[in-house]
Amino acid sequence: MALPHIFEAAWPDPTKLGADSKSAALLLNEARETFAGHLGVRGDEINFLGEPNLGFHLGISGLMSPENRLVFSNIDRMEIFAISQNHPSLKLEASTSGIVDFANTEKQDVVCLQLCNRETGTIQTSSPKNVSGLFVDATASGTRIALPENWSTALWDSTSWAGPTGVGIFAVSKSADWKNPLPHLDGRINPGPTSLPLIVASALAIDSWVADEKNLAAKISKINSEIRNYIKANIPDSDLAPGGADHLLSASFLYVNAEQLVTALADKGYAVDSGSACNAANMQPSHVLAALGVLTQGNIRLTIHHATSFEEINEFLQILSQTVSELRDI
Amino acid sequence: MILDCLGKRCPLPIIELAAELKNLPIGSEVTLLSDDPASAPDLIAWARMTGNSVEQNDSSTYTIAKLAN
Repeated sequence: MALPHIFEAAWPDPTKLGADSKSAALLLNEARETFAGHLGVRGDEINFLGEPNLGFHLGISGLMSPENRLVFSNIDRMEIFAISQNHPSLKLEASTSGIVDFANTEKQDVVCLQLCNRETGTIQTSSPKNVSGLFVDATASGTRIALPENWSTALWDSTSWAGPTGVGIFAVSKSADWKNPLPHLDGRINPGPTSLPLIVASALAIDSWVADEKNLAAKISKINSEIRNYIKANIPDSDLAPGGADHLLSASFLYVNAEQLVTALADKGYAVDSGSACNAANMQPSHVLAALGVLTQGNIRLTIHHATSFEEINEFLQILSQTVSELRDI
Repeated sequence: MILDCLGKRCPLPIIELAAELKNLPIGSEVTLLSDDPASAPDLIAWARMTGNSVEQNDSSTYTIAKLAN
């Protein structure tokens, strides 16, 4: 279904009584079940958020009681750093390979687990056991990594399965001791309303994403190692962040201005992001790179999409190598 | 010697440091003044990548020892 058709079918308010509303409610239910199936949760555990990052507050603050301590890591999202200011907390330090050790967590802890880091792709392979609550940040992992069994709350972002921006999926486990931290009078979790057409578009996106991922995961993995090997072998004074998830890669180049590098690559048709200070709104280098001890200057972050081809990557790597060496000569 | 990079943004302090070290013998020490927020993490990464050593004295002062060419 193309987006204009979705808007046509999904404009009515699914909570009202008219016939159009009933069909909209059906669409919403179908979408809910689609997400439930792909994300490994129950349909009635799912809530839709129009502002995905609100889910960090809902997911974490809703698990916190005065006796709890919040445990998070120095490669977690800034949203979590902000939330930690309101609670007794412990910030764990990731190892230089990006692994967070949860061995010293305690019964009274509410722990944040980032399944995959959105800058470097680092994956956490172990999860904390016997804690009071477990918030799972699945915003970068999407459907690629399953939830740990003892999850309490979890957050996904529609963009991780190439769905529209502005749709977050927030789940509260039926077994979690969770209280809505937002002002509320009824059982609704977020004030809403969340755009139904975007929810439906995202449900279609996750279906086709999962189908493609089966066929394309091997290609993406191969492209990732090709990029890493090329940079290591051909671009001197480069620093690769520890990886994990195949679709993400972060590399830094000594003596290179990232703003100039990103602009030069954009001029040649390649859209890459950067964790360098000169590319950030607050002029601070990426806290993730700094925490991992990776060079923050001359940094580029790559996302390898399903449609990315070997030809494109070979051409990109030539241009990258040439651009880095030109920028170093200035 | 003292290399004053106060007010200069990344990657300039490290580019200037590397240029300065090029002409100095192994074992030389340089005091780098830099208030750029990227300098603290990047000097550590630079030292690891190039085989030199760095020590941070305060928020904007670093002692660098040239240990490799």
